[in-house]
Amino acid sequence: MNFPQSFAGDFSRLLPAPQKIEAPAAGVDTTFDTHGTTVIAVKYNEGVLNVADRRATAGMGVMYDRAEKILPLDDHTVIAISGSFAKAIEIGRYLRHAFKYYERSQLQPMSLEGKLAEMTRRIEGNLPMMMQGIGAFIPVLSAYDLDAGEGRIFFYDGMGARFESSEFGAAGSGSSAIRGSFDYIVRTRKPFSQMDLQEALRECLILLDIAADLDAATGGYSKILPSAKAVTRDGILNLDEGQMKDVLRQIEEGGVLSSMPPVQARKIDADSEAV
Amino acid sequence: MYSPYDFNQSIAHRAEYVEERLKGGAPVVGISYDRGVLLFTVKRTQRKIFEIYDQLIYSALGNQADVEAVRLAAIDFAHQEGFVRSPDDVSIQRLVGFAVSPAIKRSFGDPMSTPHVLRAIFAEIGKRPDKDSYFVLNYDGEFSTHTRSAAVAASTAAEEAMRESLDAITETPDLAGALTHAAAAWRIGSNTRALPTDDEDEAATEDEELDPLQEALRDGHLEAGILERDTPRESKFRLLRADELTNVMNHG
Repeated sequence: MNFPQSFAGDFSRLLPAPQKIEAPAAGVDTTFDTHGTTVIAVKYNEGVLNVADRRATAGMGVMYDRAEKILPLDDHTVIAISGSFAKAIEIGRYLRHAFKYYERSQLQPMSLEGKLAEMTRRIEGNLPMMMQGIGAFIPVLSAYDLDAGEGRIFFYDGMGARFESSEFGAAGSGSSAIRGSFDYIVRTRKPFSQMDLQEALRECLILLDIAADLDAATGGYSKILPSAKAVTRDGILNLDEGQMKDVLRQIEEGGVLSSMPPVQARKIDADSEAV
Repeated sequence: MYSPYDFNQSIAHRAEYVEERLKGGAPVVGISYDRGVLLFTVKRTQRKIFEIYDQLIYSALGNQADVEAVRLAAIDFAHQEGFVRSPDDVSIQRLVGFAVSPAIKRSFGDPMSTPHVLRAIFAEIGKRPDKDSYFVLNYDGEFSTHTRSAAVAASTAAEEAMRESLDAITETPDLAGALTHAAAAWRIGSNTRALPTDDEDEAATEDEELDPLQEALRDGHLEAGILERDTPRESKFRLLRADELTNVMNHG
């Protein structure tokens, strides 16, 4: 009898080769490709906080206003996605399976470097579609590095090149409008990595609101609350919606940060997040 | 010329070949407890209890390469199905009934290949203990289904004795209770395995008085793996730590 081989933990070999897409005619309408917009990741004193607006757009229209763009991949890794929603969600689902497949078949967890390389391969594999004007997506990958004992943020370009950020990362249509603001906060207030969770959350919510002001495709927080998840040594925390409202109220009332209630976070199982 | 007689002889020889090699295997016990599913055994050097998928766990006794081949085939099938369809579509019934068992059966009946030397136990965690499922797979591809508990051992006699012990459990235990029941069933399975034949009876020594589990731990280690019903961790599976197994020996 012939059992299939394990291919040393490479999940992609179990799947059929992706369909090739012929080059579309010039000027093809790509409004069928729904896009996620602005995602932010900043370090804080216990890990990495990810905040994302909930808007997904297709061309000039708002396709969905409750999109979840922060996808847990395992207990210590999340990706925040911008760009083509279909591709990004599918690749998030792929990565979750690939990491688990590797760990279960090889009886050891995939290293952080291995996970980052897997992400690069996925973006690289998506290049033919991107060249045809559809399916482009850019992730920000946040991880808690158990060996180094710190949160780490990685961002990618469309070719799959990986860059590590010392303090923050952002992607999506609204990110360029606020890129300088991150530096301003670090220089004039303090590094994000020295902030606690509520300080970091406050800064991220303000940044997201600025992005929404400057980018029509980015939803702010006035109608639908953003989503926020933190990657920590102990796992992934889902920030409580009610507490986020309290922080927002304090921001709008110009409240003093130290008087804010502490942010309540609930630890979640990555499996409970439908991807 | 290959005759029906040859076929029957071939099957009988192969069964004899496998049974002979399984004789030294340590039993594996599966028990549902209030918060999860437990698999319990004694290992020598190699790990014996494995996670297959989110809700599936596996162990086996037999040839290490065969145990490994089935493990990898099960993981491949589960992950392929889980990705292409959904994790909810990966079930113990589909895995054992349609993926693993037919392949084992083909291998066993093929006179040109070496049969797999293993008896395997698969467990699937449900929302409640009465929804947990166990599949026990034999080396010839036959499998049986169980709820609440199951066992595999070196012989069918040992398995029956273990099942009798496990069936006597009336209440759903907690983890500590499940470990105690598992250890008791393991002792029975191990003792039945070691029952002397008529010829060996006279050669029986004072070793018979020894706790079989204690004896097995002279050159082995306890191994217990669980799937937890409610956990905030990504994986429901974990192997129990040594300090979580210390009480097992106190209930001999």
